Amino acid sequence: MSPVRGADIPCLEQDPAYDVHWPWRDGPLSQGLTCVFRVKNEARNLPWVIPPMLEAVQHVVLVDNLSDDGTPDVAREAAASIGAADRLEVHSYPHRVSRAGTEHLATRHDSVHSLTHFYNWSFSHVRTAYSMKWDGDMVLTTEGVGVLRDLSWQLHDSGAIVAIPRHPLSIESESVAWIDLGFRFLEPWIYPMGPEFTFVKAFEWEVREFPETSQRIIAPEGLCVELKWLDQDEFSHWSAMDFDESRAPRKRREWQVYSALMEGRGEEVPGLHRIEAPPGVHVIDYVTDTWLPHAERPLVRRGRRIES
Amino acid sequence: MVDAPSPSAGPAQLLDTAAGRRIVFVVGSGRSGTSTLSGSLQALGMHVPQPEVDADETNPKGFGEPQWVVDFHDELLRRANVAVSDARPSAWFEAGKLNNVEPVRRRLQEWMEQQFVEGGPELVVKDPRLAWFMGLWRGAALRCDAQPGYVTMLRPVTEVVGSKQRYYDARFGEVNRTAAWVNMMLHCERATRGFDRAFVRYHDLLDDWTVPVFGLGQRFDLDAVKSAAANDIRKVHAYIDPSLRRVRLTWDDLDVPRRLREIAQETWEALDQLPDDGGDTPEVRTTLDQLREAYAEMYEEAAAISQSTALASRREGFGEGVRSTQKRGVERVPHWVRALVPGFLRRGARRAVGRERG
Repeated sequence: MSPVRGADIPCLEQDPAYDVHWPWRDGPLSQGLTCVFRVKNEARNLPWVIPPMLEAVQHVVLVDNLSDDGTPDVAREAAASIGAADRLEVHSYPHRVSRAGTEHLATRHDSVHSLTHFYNWSFSHVRTAYSMKWDGDMVLTTEGVGVLRDLSWQLHDSGAIVAIPRHPLSIESESVAWIDLGFRFLEPWIYPMGPEFTFVKAFEWEVREFPETSQRIIAPEGLCVELKWLDQDEFSHWSAMDFDESRAPRKRREWQVYSALMEGRGEEVPGLHRIEAPPGVHVIDYVTDTWLPHAERPLVRRGRRIES
Repeated sequence: MVDAPSPSAGPAQLLDTAAGRRIVFVVGSGRSGTSTLSGSLQALGMHVPQPEVDADETNPKGFGEPQWVVDFHDELLRRANVAVSDARPSAWFEAGKLNNVEPVRRRLQEWMEQQFVEGGPELVVKDPRLAWFMGLWRGAALRCDAQPGYVTMLRPVTEVVGSKQRYYDARFGEVNRTAAWVNMMLHCERATRGFDRAFVRYHDLLDDWTVPVFGLGQRFDLDAVKSAAANDIRKVHAYIDPSLRRVRLTWDDLDVPRRLREIAQETWEALDQLPDDGGDTPEVRTTLDQLREAYAEMYEEAAAISQSTALASRREGFGEGVRSTQKRGVERVPHWVRALVPGFLRRGARRAVGRERG
């Protein structure tokens, strides 16, 4: 703890507003699950992302990082649209954060520019016993809402962590998208709050620590899609395109899919499925409400896992 | 873990489903009128998957429980090491973990799909074990394009405990049954929160079943109820017997510790508000949240106090396990050696130690 500012993680730049103060030091945390979004320019996605998440968990903390597309207002509007404005908390993190990869590696963990510090600061706003990180482009399916809603009270004080498979969904137009079921992208998303579950620096990005004895639950497939708009450069937040196969296989697969779709070769990629929504239904809604719940299981064949 | 990329199989297939389906889950503690409600909806034309569990002296009018559902739940409870009537708050986490097992989800989905195909678009499923697995059932309903509705039956805790003491296994005493009721009802309410749900008092059902059942038909848009014919109505009148409420007890009849009794009574009082019009309010849900936390805290304390008993039981169970795997006396002698002893001598030896074969 800093002898000067009393913070648990004082930031290198000595700005008290961006020191980390862990909430469990102030007393016991309330029961429930809080979802933490760290977002930058996600205004396009949030109308699909925020409402189902607020249906599933007790609270949402959204930390905006220098957006210039009105992301915080869109988040507030999305929450208000389902009458849940009081369960959304919006914060601003006005520091440029190093890109994943070599830039991250060169940044000290306690700098306000570090992904690690950004995560720890964001999660210090959680006031429930469980928390989950979530990306601003990840949409819960109808089935996902149900599973997460159950977990939000069943986890209680189990100490378990939960990994949720997600399926990249490349949007070609309002009625056509491509879902990647060639691999299962699996990453732990839900953790208890506490000193054993904080973020530390890894080579390309941050990782969240947890005791080896923690029980690990793997949620079923079909709960979440990750939106990728083909008219946007999905790889702009990376500092290098030289994906190391052994350390970033997920990014390499995403790059393969993206390249193939941009070149009109989607049908040639094994495990990539073209989906066309019926007239009048947006393809994202069609995939999350209808296509995925009814798709034959297993969605992804065994042995094709990519885990973080 | 990282596996090398390799080609995936062909495109995922979409399953055929039908629309306009409804499924009503009757949940709550056993001995609260769940069978009565399930049987009433069945009499009005909703389909209870067949075959059903046979009626017996504990439930002479029948259980309204599909045998497959009971077997399925029993298997899952064994896997989760959870009892039908379980007072541990952590049992919800243990049972809930099975919600994440895709083969289990798929098995239930396939069974449910078959029931809709064979039994029509409106199903009613009831089993006292169902509450432990509501997430699984919700997932299956979603995949079958069925709209789920939850009915929780409410009966005063003292009557439920008294009825269980009278009709069920006497191993569990009043205290444990009261604790298990609190655990079941508080979490049952939590698990159905935010979904289409209704609460029905057992007494209201026995006094005049038409009022709560009509309400369910409206709330869940049940065609069987809304278009019930006169003969169906007569069947329900014949089925519901007000004398079913045979056990009437108060706290004076039960020996339950004060703190548990207070939590149980407050739980009942909060739950008892839910069936009223406009009774399912944020204030009531906050009260129930507080009671759930108070109960979990009390249970943890009790478990910590009685840890020596739990450890002794575990040692005893371990000892029994070891003993059951140890071979007794003559069994230590290999069979081929025993076979060398003439038959009349073996029979004589068995007589001498009192282990003759019948």
